[in-house]
Amino acid sequence: MRRHRFNRRVTRHALGGGDTPRWIPDDVDVERELLTKAGFHSFDDLFADIPRNLRMGRMRVGTGLTEQEVVRTIDQILDRNKPYSKFASFLGGRMPIRYLPAAVDAILSRSEFYSSYTPYQPEASQGMLQALFEYQSLVVELTGLDAADASLYDGSSAAGEALLLCRRIHSGDRFLIPASLPWEEKSVLENYAAGHPVRFEEIPYDRTTGSLDLAWVRRAVADGDVFGALVDLPNGFGHLDEGLPEIKGILGSVPLVAVADPLALSVLEPPGAWGADVVVGEGQGFGQPPSFGGPLVGFFACRREHVRFAPGRIVGATLDAEGRRAFTLTLQTREQHIRRSRATSNICTNQSLLALAFVVYATTVGPSGLAALQAALAEKARALAAGLGGIEGLRAPRFSASFLSEFTVEVERGSAREFLDRLRSRKVLGGHPLADPRPGRSGPDGELVLTATTEFVGPKEILKFESAARQAIGSARRDA
Amino acid sequence: MSFRQARYDEPLLWEIGAPAASPSVPTASIPGVPGNLRRRRPLDWPEISELEVIRHFTRLSQMNFGITTSTYPLGSCTMKYNPAVSEQIARRRGAAEVHPYQPEETVQGSLEIIWRLEKGLEKVTGLPAVSLQPAAGAQGEYAALLMVRAYFRDHPELGTRTEVLLPDSAHGTNPASAAMAGYVTKEIASKNGCVDLDALRAAVSERTAAFMLTNPNTGGIFESEIEAIAKAVHGAGGLLYYDGANLNAILGVTSPGRMGFDVAHLNLHKTFATPHGGGGPGAGVLAASAKLEPYLPIPRVVKTGRRFRFEYDRPKSIGKIKTAYGNFGLYLRAYAFLLYHGEEGLKHVSRRAVLNANYAAHELADTLPRPFRPLVKHEFVLSGTPLKARGFRTLDLAKRLLDEGIHAPTVYFPSLVDEALMIELPETESRNDLDRFVAAVKRCVADSPEQLRSAPHSTSVARVDEVRAARELRLSWKDLRTPPSSEPELAAAGAPRPRSSPPGPAPP
Repeated sequence: MRRHRFNRRVTRHALGGGDTPRWIPDDVDVERELLTKAGFHSFDDLFADIPRNLRMGRMRVGTGLTEQEVVRTIDQILDRNKPYSKFASFLGGRMPIRYLPAAVDAILSRSEFYSSYTPYQPEASQGMLQALFEYQSLVVELTGLDAADASLYDGSSAAGEALLLCRRIHSGDRFLIPASLPWEEKSVLENYAAGHPVRFEEIPYDRTTGSLDLAWVRRAVADGDVFGALVDLPNGFGHLDEGLPEIKGILGSVPLVAVADPLALSVLEPPGAWGADVVVGEGQGFGQPPSFGGPLVGFFACRREHVRFAPGRIVGATLDAEGRRAFTLTLQTREQHIRRSRATSNICTNQSLLALAFVVYATTVGPSGLAALQAALAEKARALAAGLGGIEGLRAPRFSASFLSEFTVEVERGSAREFLDRLRSRKVLGGHPLADPRPGRSGPDGELVLTATTEFVGPKEILKFESAARQAIGSARRDA
Repeated sequence: MSFRQARYDEPLLWEIGAPAASPSVPTASIPGVPGNLRRRRPLDWPEISELEVIRHFTRLSQMNFGITTSTYPLGSCTMKYNPAVSEQIARRRGAAEVHPYQPEETVQGSLEIIWRLEKGLEKVTGLPAVSLQPAAGAQGEYAALLMVRAYFRDHPELGTRTEVLLPDSAHGTNPASAAMAGYVTKEIASKNGCVDLDALRAAVSERTAAFMLTNPNTGGIFESEIEAIAKAVHGAGGLLYYDGANLNAILGVTSPGRMGFDVAHLNLHKTFATPHGGGGPGAGVLAASAKLEPYLPIPRVVKTGRRFRFEYDRPKSIGKIKTAYGNFGLYLRAYAFLLYHGEEGLKHVSRRAVLNANYAAHELADTLPRPFRPLVKHEFVLSGTPLKARGFRTLDLAKRLLDEGIHAPTVYFPSLVDEALMIELPETESRNDLDRFVAAVKRCVADSPEQLRSAPHSTSVARVDEVRAARELRLSWKDLRTPPSSEPELAAAGAPRPRSSPPGPAPP
C-alpha cells in the first residue's frame, strides 16, 4: 500500500494513482523536528525578520496540481500550436530547422551534465570542462581564430559583446554595420552599445548583388573615428558576399567582426583567414531544436592577443597535482565575480549545455556529414530558386550574389506578410519577412522574404511551395 | 559515505579519431560557394563513430557532479532538484518543433505559455508587468539598467543621473552590469552584514540612478530596514532594483513589489527549478512597476479576446536584448513548477528552504564561526578563519568536501566575510541529506591538515593547477598540439601523442 507522506498532497488527489512525486522531502513531523532542533517554536518564527507590514496576502497563483495534471494542462496548451512539421516549412534565418541525430539528446539528457552548475570546482567537473574545451577547439577550427570562449547567450548578444571588445582594443566612436543586418540584431547591438558613446553607421548594399559597398567603407574609414566594422556570412539576405575577403585590407588596423553560420563555415574559408579579428554567430542549428527561439547559443572567437579583453567563461588545459592533464575555468580575473565593475563582461550563466550540444552534434555528423548536408541544402535551394524565379510577380532570388541554404525573395505585388499568409493557408511556411515590425521603422527596401531549405524539404515540398506561390500571387493580382 | 568519482583517462575527441584522409564531399563540388570563399583546408575535426561519441560523452558525464548525484550547496545558486517531468515536457513536439518566425496563428500555445507564466510571475513578484526575454540573470540586470536609463532620459526634470549604488555584498554581476550600462558604480559598506543605512543616506544624491539590492542579501540576511532603504533611494529620485537571485527565501511571504522595488530580475534557473546546464541556459526574467513597464523589451505578449499576439507598438521600449523571445524551453519547466506547487506549495518551498538553512547553520554552530545575526533566510555564511591556525584554509575544506561526494559551497564570497563559505541547501534536500552534509563538514574540519591541503583524493583528477592554466593559456587543441609558450615542462607533460597513434589513456 502506498504511504502518503504529505498530508497536503493527499487532499489534492483528484485522479489518484501513482502520481505523487515528492519534490519537497520529508513530512511535516520531520520538519517540526528540524524546527525544534534549530531552536524555533513555529514555522512563522523563521520569518520573524520580515516586518509584518511587508507581508503579502495571497498570491492567487492557484492550488497545486499533481504531476499528471501538470502534464495534461501544459499538453492542452501546447496542442494549440501548429508545429512547423505539419507544414512544408522554409523558415530559417539565423535559426535553422535541422534534423537532430538522437545521439545529441541522449547526451543532453545525462543529468550529470544538465543538473550541474558552472564548473567552479574543476576537480568535480572535469566532464563538462573537457566538453567545453572541445567545443572551444571546434569553434577555433571553424572560425580560423586562436581562442574561443565557452559560449554566450545567442548570436546577437555575441555580436554585442564583439562590439564591446572592439571598443577596448581600438579608439573611435563609429561602428559600421551592414544596412542588411536583421533588425533584431541591430536592436540588440544598439542595446549592447547603449552605455557608451557609439554611433552606428550602416554600410549600404548594392541593389543588384545585395553585397556591401566597399567604396563606402573605404570612405568611412578615411573619415576616421571608426573603432570597428561588422559583416555577416551569410548576410541578412541569406547570400554570400564575395567582397568580404577584401574588407580587412580597407579597414587596416580597425577591428573586423564577422557574424557567421557554423554550417556554412564547415565549407567556407574561415573568416580568421581573411582578416576577421572576432568571429561570432548563432549556434542553435548545431544541436538544438528551434523551440520557439530559445535556448539559443552564441559562439565567440578572437585573436590570441585580445583574449584578455574577451567576454565570458574560458576553459583552459592545465595539470593536476599528480601531473595529469586537467581542465579548468581560466582568465577569471577578467570576470565579474573578481573584477566587478571593471570586468570585461557581466556574463555569469552562459549556455554551457548548448555548447555541449554543439560539439556533440558536429562530432556525430562529422566533417564529411556537415559538408554533405551543406551540399544537399545548397542543391535544394537552387531548385527552389529556379522554381520560384519562374513565377511572375516574384523576384527569386532577389539578389545576384551566390547563396548556400537560403536566399531572399521579393514580392512585387502586395505585401510580404500577405504573401506568406496565403502560402500558409496552403500549408506552406514560406519564410519570414525581413521588415522591422516596429511601427515607423523600415527594413531593407522592398517586400522581402527570407526563405530557407532544410533536410525536411524534398522535391515534393518544393513543388508545393511553387504551386502555392503561383496561387498566392494570382490572388494578389485579382485583389488588385 | 565512501565516495569515488569515475576516473577515466578520457582522450580528447581528436585523440580518438582523425579527420578523413580525403574529404568525401570536396568543397569545390558544393554549389554556391564562390571560389574566393571556398575552404582551402578541410575542417580538421575527427570522423568517429556514433558509439565512440556516445561513449566519450557518457564517460565525461560520469566525471561531473550534478544535483542528481550530489548535494550541491552553492550559496546564491539555489541548486534544487530539477523535476524529471519538466525535462519531458520541454521535449514535446508541440514545444520543440515550433519556429520563432512562424505566424502568430500557428503559435498560440507557445504564446499562451509565455502569457500565463508572465501573469504568474507578476503575482509572485507583486509587480504589474513581466517580460521573460533576457537569457540569464546578468542579462536581466543589464536590460533592467537600460530601462532605468531610458526612464531618466524620458524624464529630464529628474536631472542627469550617472551613478548606480550597490552594497559591497552585491553579486559581481551587479557592478559589471551597471558599468556596462555606462554608470559609475559606488559600493556602500555593510554594517553587521546589512546595508548601512547612514552610509546609504550619505551616498544617495541627485546623481543616483538606482540602488541595486538582493534581499535577502548574499549573507542570507533579510534586510529588515528595506522600507527605510526604499525611502532613502526614492527620496533622492533614484530607482530601486531587485536582484532576484535569492527569491527562493520569500515566496508568498513578501515580494519585491511589496518591498518597494521598481524593477527586478528573477532567475528561473534558481527559484523555478530549471536546470543550470553546467552553466546555462538560464532565464533572467524582468518584472517592472507601472512606472517602468513602458520600457520593457519588445515584443510583449498580449491577449486580445481569446487570442494571443505579439505587441511591437511600444515606442518607449528599450528594443530587443536577444534574438526571438528568450529561452522558451525553460519557460515550460518554470511553468510546470508553478503549476505543481501552486499557492501553498510555493510557500512551502520557501519555508523549507529557510528551515534547511537555519537547521544546518544551527548544527554547525560549534564548528565554524558564523558572522551576523543568527536568523538567516535560505542561505548562511561561515568563516573559515580559525582553520588558518591549523594550517589550512577554506579552499582546502571546500576541496575535501568533494571527497565526501558533496559539492563545495560558494567560497570566498561575500568578500565582507574573511575566508567565507556561503551555504545554500534548497528545499529539495531531505533531513538525511542535511545531516550527511553537517557530518561531512565536521569530519573535514577535524581532518588532518595534510589530508586537507592535498585534497581532493577521490575525484577524477587531483587538485587542479589553476595558476598554470592562466599563465600558459592553452585554450584549444591547437595550443595542445603547438604549445603557445616555450615552457618545456608543460609541453612535455601535457602534449598529446601524435594523432596517428592508437587511442589510449591520455598522457600523464
